[in-house]
Amino acid sequence: MFDFLIEGFGVALSPLNLGLAFLGALLGTLFGALPGIGPINGIAILMPLAYTLGLPAESALILLAGIYTGAEYGGRMSSILLNVPGDAGAVMTTLDGHPLAKQGLAGPALGLSAVSSFVGATIAIIGLTLFAPLLAEVAVMFGPAEFFALMIFAFSSMAVMMGKDPVKTAIGAVLGVLIATVGVDGGTGVMRFTFGMPELYDGVDFVVMIIGLFAISEILLMLEHAHRRDADDEMPPLGRVFVSLKEVLHCKGAMGRSGLLGFIIGVLPGTGASVAGAVSYTTEKRLSDKDGTFGKGDMRGLAAPEAANNASAAGSFVPMLTLGIPGSGTTAVLLGALMLYNITPGPMMFTERPEVAGGLIASLYIGNIVLLALNLPLAGVFARVLTIPRWVLVPAIAILAFVGVYQLHSDLTAIYLMLIIGVFGYLLRKLGFSLAPVILGYVLGGLMEQNLRRALSISGGDAGILWQSGISLGLWIAAAALLVLPWLVPKLLAGRSRRHAG
Amino acid sequence: MRIAADRLLGLALIGLAAFIAVQSLQLQVPFSYEPVGPKAFPLGLAALLAALALVLVFKPGEDGEWPAPALALRLLGVLGLLLVYALLFTRLGFIPASFLVVATLARLFDASWPKALVTAALMAAGSDFLFTEGLGIGLPDGTWLADIL
Repeated sequence: MFDFLIEGFGVALSPLNLGLAFLGALLGTLFGALPGIGPINGIAILMPLAYTLGLPAESALILLAGIYTGAEYGGRMSSILLNVPGDAGAVMTTLDGHPLAKQGLAGPALGLSAVSSFVGATIAIIGLTLFAPLLAEVAVMFGPAEFFALMIFAFSSMAVMMGKDPVKTAIGAVLGVLIATVGVDGGTGVMRFTFGMPELYDGVDFVVMIIGLFAISEILLMLEHAHRRDADDEMPPLGRVFVSLKEVLHCKGAMGRSGLLGFIIGVLPGTGASVAGAVSYTTEKRLSDKDGTFGKGDMRGLAAPEAANNASAAGSFVPMLTLGIPGSGTTAVLLGALMLYNITPGPMMFTERPEVAGGLIASLYIGNIVLLALNLPLAGVFARVLTIPRWVLVPAIAILAFVGVYQLHSDLTAIYLMLIIGVFGYLLRKLGFSLAPVILGYVLGGLMEQNLRRALSISGGDAGILWQSGISLGLWIAAAALLVLPWLVPKLLAGRSRRHAG
Repeated sequence: MRIAADRLLGLALIGLAAFIAVQSLQLQVPFSYEPVGPKAFPLGLAALLAALALVLVFKPGEDGEWPAPALALRLLGVLGLLLVYALLFTRLGFIPASFLVVATLARLFDASWPKALVTAALMAAGSDFLFTEGLGIGLPDGTWLADIL
């Protein structure tokens, strides 16, 4: 049953892939540590280079996944030291992390967060190893109708979980799906929304889309943030960098629970590290905040979100590898990267391409150990990254974005398109949209339409096929429940308490 | 009544949905074996988009923070600069174009002139070396200079 893992370790332990796992971990930690550059930005900027180097699919994936998991480690640095989350997953880390730093415990806080990141990630990688092959066996039974229902479920779970405004999350996803319809229609050869531009016949290029949406819009946002100081003071001194065993043991419950919770949230399609961090923090506060110390510098309040956001990163690989449905915005980008290699992840991945699935999972085990080894002693060095001024960072991002897009197409049209998408992304972010739904919609849109049309051609046009099987019906009901319950439950509870009162 | 950003967005999205619907209806499908052609999916999405946009028009959220005029001008400056970079990228060549753009960009992000110029020189030459020598990526030499020489 675990043949894929044995083969995977064979792949991941090759010198090239070991080096890439190490490089990914290092770069990822740096990207995570830099405020504003999260895992998606890091991957967007480096993905074109991975292609240029001509890496095989599994090696490219190992590099990019290393950046992803590394960024979840690195995101905590600026949360703890500057009270500015390094990425969306590290928002809750500021709540207890920064107060600890202000009490002169910045070093131990960094150490503890590295250990809890390790624990959370380890729990989730083991979960991934055990759970993914089982899910793949179930997923073999999926036909087009089931996949279509699954995507509806993914979008509705995302609408409820992600962002403040479900309507905007839904709009973002629809816009993403619409962008995916651009180009020659595979079924009939009809051109859709190409406006006679040959560059658009193959659709909006994935790299152009990702770099425009994330890197270019980030440049514009950084200019705004440069004029609004949200960091509340100078970087506090680190103090001793090591965390004591006693402090770690004090947090073992918080780490274990949050690791499990983060894994489960990561597996749910469409929800990422930010949700995992928030849910685990509030859960841990409810369970163990007896003296009201959470939010004032409680070690457990730091350990919980850090364990959870790293666990969710590993967990989000489960639906991506087994169903081809990304568990988070970042895995959506990784899925798109795999599709560029003509690999569409799905239930057959573990049997047909075990070197990719197994190699990735094995590299996560290795990367996790590398990350702990890097992050414990080198916390001070990584913290230095925070002092890189924006006037160095921004031109560097611009150069990487331009070279990345140019060398893929040697074509200026792609660069103009990237800039247009960048402005579009900036406006969306200013209007309170999260970009992850857009990317998820863009990556899933083509598959969604294909599966819908395939299902309907099997049934001769009868839409009933979409909910005929037990699996698809169950997914539709689950999707509907997700959309209705958050709205219904508070009303029911309010009604009941009124009856009790009356 | 103040016009919230969300209301404008909602109206713009309804316009977009209408545009998509019209475009989809105009698609000429030569022949089709399947019951659902390439029109249905975008049409359905346009309808969904219009419905969601209506929610925004009638229940707009908070008006977010928008940049003050001076900052907006700088944002346009950065954007214009990126456009200039695109225009110069192949014509002037990678190193000179990058030097100019990095120096100006650094100035827009509040670096002093000496810092901006040194950063630009190091970054333009360094990235050219890294990309061409280290990674084997072909970068444009510039057509204008070649013409003159």
